[in-house]
Amino acid sequence: MARHTPSLSRMARRPRIRWREVQASLEMAALFSLAIVWLVPVLWMIDTAFKPTPEIFTLPPRWIPSRFTLEHVLEVLQDWPFLGWLTNSLIVAGGSTGLSLAISTPAAYSFARLRWRGRNLLFLVFISSMLIPWQVNAVPLYFLMDRLGLLNSYAAVVLPISAMPIGVFLLRQFFVNFPGELEDAARLDGCSSLGVLVRIILPNSIPAFVALGLYMFIFAWNEFFWSLIALQRPELLTLPIGLKALQGAHDIEYGLLLAGAFLASLPVLLVFLLFRQRVIRGMTLTGGIKG
Amino acid sequence: MRLHPRRLFSRLLRSRQVEGVLFVLPYGAIWALFLLWPVIYGFYISLFKWQPLLGSEFIGLKNYANLLQDARFWNALRNTFWFAALAMPLIIGIGLLFALFIWGSGRRRGGGFIEASFFWPYLLNVSIVSIIWKWLFDPDFGLILAYLRGIGLDPPVFLNDPLWVVPAIAFATGWWLAGYRMVVFRAAMEDIPDTVFELAELDGANPVVRLFRILIPLLKPAILFSLVLTAISSFRVLGQVLMMTDGGPGRASEVLALYLYRAGWQYLEMGRAAALGFVLFLIILVVTLVGFWVIGLESELGGR
Repeated sequence: MARHTPSLSRMARRPRIRWREVQASLEMAALFSLAIVWLVPVLWMIDTAFKPTPEIFTLPPRWIPSRFTLEHVLEVLQDWPFLGWLTNSLIVAGGSTGLSLAISTPAAYSFARLRWRGRNLLFLVFISSMLIPWQVNAVPLYFLMDRLGLLNSYAAVVLPISAMPIGVFLLRQFFVNFPGELEDAARLDGCSSLGVLVRIILPNSIPAFVALGLYMFIFAWNEFFWSLIALQRPELLTLPIGLKALQGAHDIEYGLLLAGAFLASLPVLLVFLLFRQRVIRGMTLTGGIKG
Repeated sequence: MRLHPRRLFSRLLRSRQVEGVLFVLPYGAIWALFLLWPVIYGFYISLFKWQPLLGSEFIGLKNYANLLQDARFWNALRNTFWFAALAMPLIIGIGLLFALFIWGSGRRRGGGFIEASFFWPYLLNVSIVSIIWKWLFDPDFGLILAYLRGIGLDPPVFLNDPLWVVPAIAFATGWWLAGYRMVVFRAAMEDIPDTVFELAELDGANPVVRLFRILIPLLKPAILFSLVLTAISSFRVLGQVLMMTDGGPGRASEVLALYLYRAGWQYLEMGRAAALGFVLFLIILVVTLVGFWVIGLESELGGR
C-alpha cells in the first residue's frame, strides 16, 4: 500500500500539469498570432514591392501574386541614386557615431574620474541641454552652417548630432561605476590621466561603447528633420530624405514606393537578424532615452 | 621663488584643474558652437522680421504676439496636443502590454521571434513607416479599409478624414515606437528580484493582484520616465505627418513642427519660424519639468 502511494499521487497530479502545458501553449499560440499581425505591415510592404502593378490595385487585396516581379525594385535602382543614398546614410551615421564617441569619451572620463572645480555644474548644464529640440535650433543652425560654408555637406549633419549630450551622459554613468583599484595602481606606476584613459578605461568599456555606438548610429541613420533642411542637393540625400524625394515624384505608384521602402529597410533587417540579441540589449543599456 | 615660464606651463598642464578642463574641451567646443550658440542666436532671430531675401528689421516680441493672433498657430498647437494625447498612451500602453506578454511567457521556445517582431518596427526610419502606413490606409486599395469593408463596416477614409487623420497617424506611430518601450519595460521587469513574486504567490496573491499591486507599482519609475520621453518626442512630431498627409486634409494634421518648417523654408519667414521653435521649446520644457517634478528624478540627473 505504502509503495503505491507515490505513484498514485503522481497520477493524480499529472492531469493538472498537462492542463498547465495546454494553457501555456495556447498562450504561446495567441502571442505568436499577435506577433504575425504586428508584422503584417512589413509583410504587406514586401508583398507589394514584388507584385505586378495591376495586382497591387485589386479588391479584395491579393496576398499571393500570379507572378513575382522585380520591375519595381529595378526601377528604383536604375532611375534613382538609391546606392548613393545608402552611401550617404552610412557616411552620416558612421561619422556621427565616430565623432560622438571620440569627443564624448574624454569628456565623460573627466566628469567621472577627475577632480576639478565646476565639473558637476558643467555636467548639469550639458545634461540640461538634452531638452533642446532640433526645431528650436533649425533656423539658427541653418544660418550658422551657411556662414561656415558647411550647408550641403555631411559635416552639417554630423556636427550637430555629435553635439548631443547623450554620449557624455551614458559614458559617465559607466565610468563612474568602474572599480578604482586598477586606476590607482596605474597612477602609482606613473601613468598620466590620458594613459589611464587609454590603457585602463578604454579596453574595459567595450560594451558601453557598443551600446552607445549602436544608439548613435540608429539615431543618425533615421534622422529626418535636420537632414531635410541641411542636405538639399540630390547627390547628398540620406535614405529617409531620398525616400521622401521618391514619394514626392511618384505620389501613388505604390509598387515603386514600397520597393524603395523595402530596399531601405534591407540593411537594417540584415544587421538585426545577425545581431538581434546585441541590438536589443544595447537598446536597454542606453536606458530609454530617445532624442 | 620664481618659476621659469616653461616649468610653470608644464606644471599648469599637469594640474588637475587644467587637465580636467582639457579633456572636456573637444566636446565642449562642439557643444557650444552647434548646440548652445544656436539657441541664443535663434532667440535673437526671433526678435526680427527676418527674411533672407528682403533683409531684416528689429520688431521685438512682435513675432510672438503675431503667433497669438494667428489662427493657423492655434490650429497647429491643437493638432500637436491631440497627437501627443493619442500617441503617448498608445506607445506606452502597447509597449507595457507586450513587455508583460513576453515576461509572462518566460523563456519558452518562440519567445525570441515574438520579441523580435514586436521590436523590429522601431528600427525602420520614419519615411519607410510613413510609406507603409499611407499605403495601408489608402482610401481605395488600402489593406485596412478593404478588410474593414470586407467585414461589413463603413470605415472613415482615415487619412483623408479631418476627424480621423491625427488618430490614424498616432496609431501608425504607436506601431513604430512601442517596441522600443517594450524593451525598456522588460529590462525594468528583469531588475525585479524573483523572490518578490515567490513571496506574493506564497501569500496566495492571484495573478491580477500580483500585476496591479506588485508589478505595476514597481515599474512606476520606468513608466513615468517613459511618459516624459514619449511626450517630448510626440510634441516634436514632423516626419510622419509630412510624409503621410503633408498636414492635410486642409490643415487638419498640420502640427507645430510642420508649421515651423513651412514658415521657415517655404514662406522664408525665418523670424516667425524661430519664434515657433521657441514656443515648442517652451512646451517641451514645461512638460519635462512637470514630469521630472512628479518623478522626483533630481538625483538621477544631479550627479553624485
